[in-house]
Amino acid sequence: MFELTAYDGRRRIRGSVYLSIGLSLLAAMVVWVYPSFEAEIDLEGLLAAYPEPILQVMGVQTMTSLAGFLSFELYTFGWIIMLGLYLAYSTAGTIADDVDRGRMDVLLAMPISRRRLVAERFGAMAVPIVGANLLPPLVVYVGAELIDHPIPAADVLAVHLLSIPYLFACAGIGLLASVIVDRAAIAQRVALGVTFALFLSESLLSGTDAEVVGAIAPMRYYDPNAVLLEGNYDLLGAGILVAMTAVLLAASQLWFGRRDV
Amino acid sequence: MAAIELEGLTKDYGEVLANDDVTFAVEEGEIFGYLGPNGAGKTTTIRTLLGLLSPTAGTARLLGNDVTDEAQLLAAKRRLGYLPDDPGFDETATGRAVLDLHASLKGDERSAELLELFDPPLDREIREYSRGNVQKLGLVTTFMHDPDLVILDEPTSGLDPLLQQRFNEFVRAERERGLTVFFSSHILSEVRKLCDRVGIIRDGRLVTVEPVESLLDRSGKFVRLHAAEAIPVDALEIDGVHGIESDTGPSDGTEYAFTFTGDVNALLAALREYRLHDLSIEEAPLDEVFMRFYDDSDGDEPNGADLAVGPGAAGGGVDDV
Repeated sequence: MFELTAYDGRRRIRGSVYLSIGLSLLAAMVVWVYPSFEAEIDLEGLLAAYPEPILQVMGVQTMTSLAGFLSFELYTFGWIIMLGLYLAYSTAGTIADDVDRGRMDVLLAMPISRRRLVAERFGAMAVPIVGANLLPPLVVYVGAELIDHPIPAADVLAVHLLSIPYLFACAGIGLLASVIVDRAAIAQRVALGVTFALFLSESLLSGTDAEVVGAIAPMRYYDPNAVLLEGNYDLLGAGILVAMTAVLLAASQLWFGRRDV
Repeated sequence: MAAIELEGLTKDYGEVLANDDVTFAVEEGEIFGYLGPNGAGKTTTIRTLLGLLSPTAGTARLLGNDVTDEAQLLAAKRRLGYLPDDPGFDETATGRAVLDLHASLKGDERSAELLELFDPPLDREIREYSRGNVQKLGLVTTFMHDPDLVILDEPTSGLDPLLQQRFNEFVRAERERGLTVFFSSHILSEVRKLCDRVGIIRDGRLVTVEPVESLLDRSGKFVRLHAAEAIPVDALEIDGVHGIESDTGPSDGTEYAFTFTGDVNALLAALREYRLHDLSIEEAPLDEVFMRFYDDSDGDEPNGADLAVGPGAAGGGVDDV
């Protein structure tokens, strides 16, 4: 059991280390610019100048604290959008690329069921998902201390821990695309499109009559603002994300179990 | 129990009937060649056997296990080695990483011994491999867990002649140990060197299954003769001469070429009174075999109708000469 996860996971380590370093640099930059940003710009005035829908899409609630600034500059852009899209894209390449390049025949000729193959490949995505969250929280916490705008360690930890089920749900979208479409390039585009559309549906429609549409978007259940500004950890939301991931995985297994390869 | 049993196997893609009611069995311990031109449906049969494709109709059993039942298929795959047509491995993995993965999933009884026979550069990444090296790695992964049955799709493509010979010797030795081999090919000479029996597929339909000797007898010879003077056409109306072509050409004398399925002695007797510059009798190429016996373009008869008649009678194609 988990031989394929171990193999895939090992092969994803190097990329995940780079990812973690890249995100840490982004985090360091955001933290580093905050003091001058705070000192030189009329933050309230800036916020007032933006149209409301833009603020809503960007997840901006306040810029008058480092937590609020990080929440949209780092976590909305870096985690919800960038990492979410990356994981959907990257996972969409797993099964489809194997089929596309003729590797699936070799894999499935081995004594491994299709369900297990899908689950193990998906499990290996834990490496980039967890890896991306290893270094940046340290950078954020220490950086905030250094510029004298401390953020509670528990909040920093929580905003990263709670992003893990969110990122798995995004990966689940990619996985489903990967088993349904057997050309990797197309599966990846579909995954990107769907994930981004879900992000827009959640952020644009909230507060409107169509708000209910955003209920299927993973982005509804992960809110960095609530964690960093209010210390409010949405465990129910995390549970919903876990359930969403389980459903996406089960649907992918079911689909892949029945189709011709 | 047969190692492979196909019963009415059909795979219909809508516009193409890739396999049409294919029925045959491969007995344990034999080397069975699955022969057909490219695009005949060989790979479809193999991929259905492996459970990669679900049959439109019919059944397929591997080592007694129904391939459409996942639990049974898994049981069969523990004892199976498979080398695809163009084996795909992770491009960025080294050969060694691939072997380790295979070992962890299906066991490793004999990779060390196999690596002495087929020696891919294990420390290099697959993307640097030549086609031949990929094939060598594929052979090692196919046999490393000491399977009872191996399915090989065009196994010698990409191997140089020396390695092909090494492969042939290896497969024969494995057969002595009780291994069952099912392999597909579009090259008759490859099949005749190895196989006990041959199944021929064309346009998705199984045309015949027979021992390899009778196929070779049946397939006839390709005769080329260079006569000093023209030979009267009726002198060459011997049983078993098909598709005769003559060419007076730039050189002196006349050249004749035809396929011959009759008795060689009768042919030589008929030629005795003519002065020849040259005569060659060769095994007919596979294309020729297909053309002669399995081509359905010359009538409404179903494929294989010609096969019902024996080798002698097959030569009596009166309209051929």
